[in-house]
Amino acid sequence: MLSFLSQGRRGSGWGMALPALLLLLAFFVIPVAGLLSRSVTEPQPGLQNYETLLGSFTYIRIFLNTFLVSGVVTLITALIAFPVAWALAIMSPRIASVLFAVILLSMWTNLLARTYAWMVLLQQTGLVNKLLMGLGLTSQPLQLTNNLIGVTIGMVYIMLPFMILPLYGVIRKIDPAILQAAALCGATKGQALRRVLLPLAAPGIASGALMVFVMSLGYFVTPSLLGGTSNMMVAELIVQQVQSLVNWGMGGAAAFILLVVTLALYALQLRLFDAEAR
Amino acid sequence: MHKKALALAAALTLAGGVAQAQQMVFTSWGGTTQDAQTEFWAAPYSEKTGTNVLQDGPTDYGKIKAMVEAKAVNWDVVDSEFDWALQAGKAGLLEPLDFNVIDKSKLDPRFVSDYAVGSFYYSFVIGFNPANFSGDQPKTMADLFDTAKFPGKRTFYKWSAPGVIEAALLADGVAADKLYPLDLDRAFKKLDTIKSDIIWWEGGAQSQQLLASGEAPIGFFWNGRLAALAADGMPVGISWENNITAADALVVPKGAPNKDAAMAFIAEATSAKAQADFAAKTGYAPINTGSPELMDAEVRKTLPDTQTGTQINADMAYWAEHRDEIGTRWYAWQAQ
Repeated sequence: MLSFLSQGRRGSGWGMALPALLLLLAFFVIPVAGLLSRSVTEPQPGLQNYETLLGSFTYIRIFLNTFLVSGVVTLITALIAFPVAWALAIMSPRIASVLFAVILLSMWTNLLARTYAWMVLLQQTGLVNKLLMGLGLTSQPLQLTNNLIGVTIGMVYIMLPFMILPLYGVIRKIDPAILQAAALCGATKGQALRRVLLPLAAPGIASGALMVFVMSLGYFVTPSLLGGTSNMMVAELIVQQVQSLVNWGMGGAAAFILLVVTLALYALQLRLFDAEAR
Repeated sequence: MHKKALALAAALTLAGGVAQAQQMVFTSWGGTTQDAQTEFWAAPYSEKTGTNVLQDGPTDYGKIKAMVEAKAVNWDVVDSEFDWALQAGKAGLLEPLDFNVIDKSKLDPRFVSDYAVGSFYYSFVIGFNPANFSGDQPKTMADLFDTAKFPGKRTFYKWSAPGVIEAALLADGVAADKLYPLDLDRAFKKLDTIKSDIIWWEGGAQSQQLLASGEAPIGFFWNGRLAALAADGMPVGISWENNITAADALVVPKGAPNKDAAMAFIAEATSAKAQADFAAKTGYAPINTGSPELMDAEVRKTLPDTQTGTQINADMAYWAEHRDEIGTRWYAWQAQ
């Protein structure tokens, strides 16, 4: 009887997911398969596109740079987002909802507009440099755009909500009494954070980090406007290949390598964290 | 009742058919350029012919190729770069233009081919912020590449296109009439000498922002963008020495659904009046030889047609042939 019930539930679950699955099939799986087939057929059949991409230092550097930027952005975002999520979880719901609105508001503003705003703020004659020099902290304007610094600042800002939200969801469910118990048992604040709070929040950190990392891997607008060409990311390479050189083969191959790496990371995360949860 | 419904259905079908015949899609790069194209080309064309012009964009070569291959083209006229148009025509991606409809006798022959006519043309010119160079002012391509004499960041067009490679060769001492075939090794070697001082601009608005803010006090710009800055009251220095012309093209993708409307649209867009009005608004030059006489003398002064002394025409045929090869090297060099 019980197994029958749970089976029935599972069946209806598939039914509910069907529209989304069909949508994914039509607008994701099929186009990606098409792109994959172009990457091994254009300009002629074979693996030469993958050979070019993985055999040249220039292209490998673009991939490494993409992972480096995504990793740094994920780390900094997590470091900033954790205290924010914690504060949101323990403050009064009314104030928290106002803060949430502020965080979400930034997401509703056009991405291009936000990136241009950073460009103007960070350039040599921009507000940030003027402020630093006015305060006497620097004597020369710092180079904050057209390099990794600009890309990192711009992307951390854009990615923050995607880290705060999952973290908040997990932290809110942590019973504050557990921390009291830790303190009663003689844990210092640092120990309570390291050995109680962080392990309990780990699933939230992991899902936030995965989301931010994967989104960063494929980011185009911000790196393109705030970064220089010598630290290009994969998405820019794909745009160049497809839009400017009309080379669907190379663009497809680069996109496919990115997809494989992303899926591998996702599988890794499932193994590490879902196994723990079970 | 049944009859009525049938009649209604028939009427709707008919209306649908008519509506379809009376519209076409024009695709361009967006921004102020496409606004001007809408105002001075599409609007008068719609008024004369009753055909509604839908605007789309931005131009995307990958998309055109994909549409033509899938035989599902929904762009009728596209504004593209001229060298791409020549290459795409050869590759079978474009419809041949109908010169019974488009009057090519009035068009600048530099910008006419079987598959493309000029949309507008422009010059790459040296632009600088006079506040940064109070003594000697930059004049030649060699100055543009001389960071000792004219220190500061310089801004160049990011995408692989005619212009910057030629500038590097000229700066390195190649004679204007010996530019082609392009010596890419030499050009990249020259570009290497200023690589860390280059800030790339991706679009016209960004180039203006970089110059006006002083982020890059000197650079290589589309002349129209500098004219627009000057018109806004910004102090802008321009050197026309060895200005390098390049052009945009109007093309019809192969299998475009409204081919006849497309040809008629191109005829209107390249007419003397449409070209003159567009040029006056954007600072780009008209490709119709009858346009200059329709234009205000003050505006004409800012156009590249009056700067032919040391002017160099980028070799579009050469670029069309070597576009992929140069592009691949260009982007690999940038990423190094």
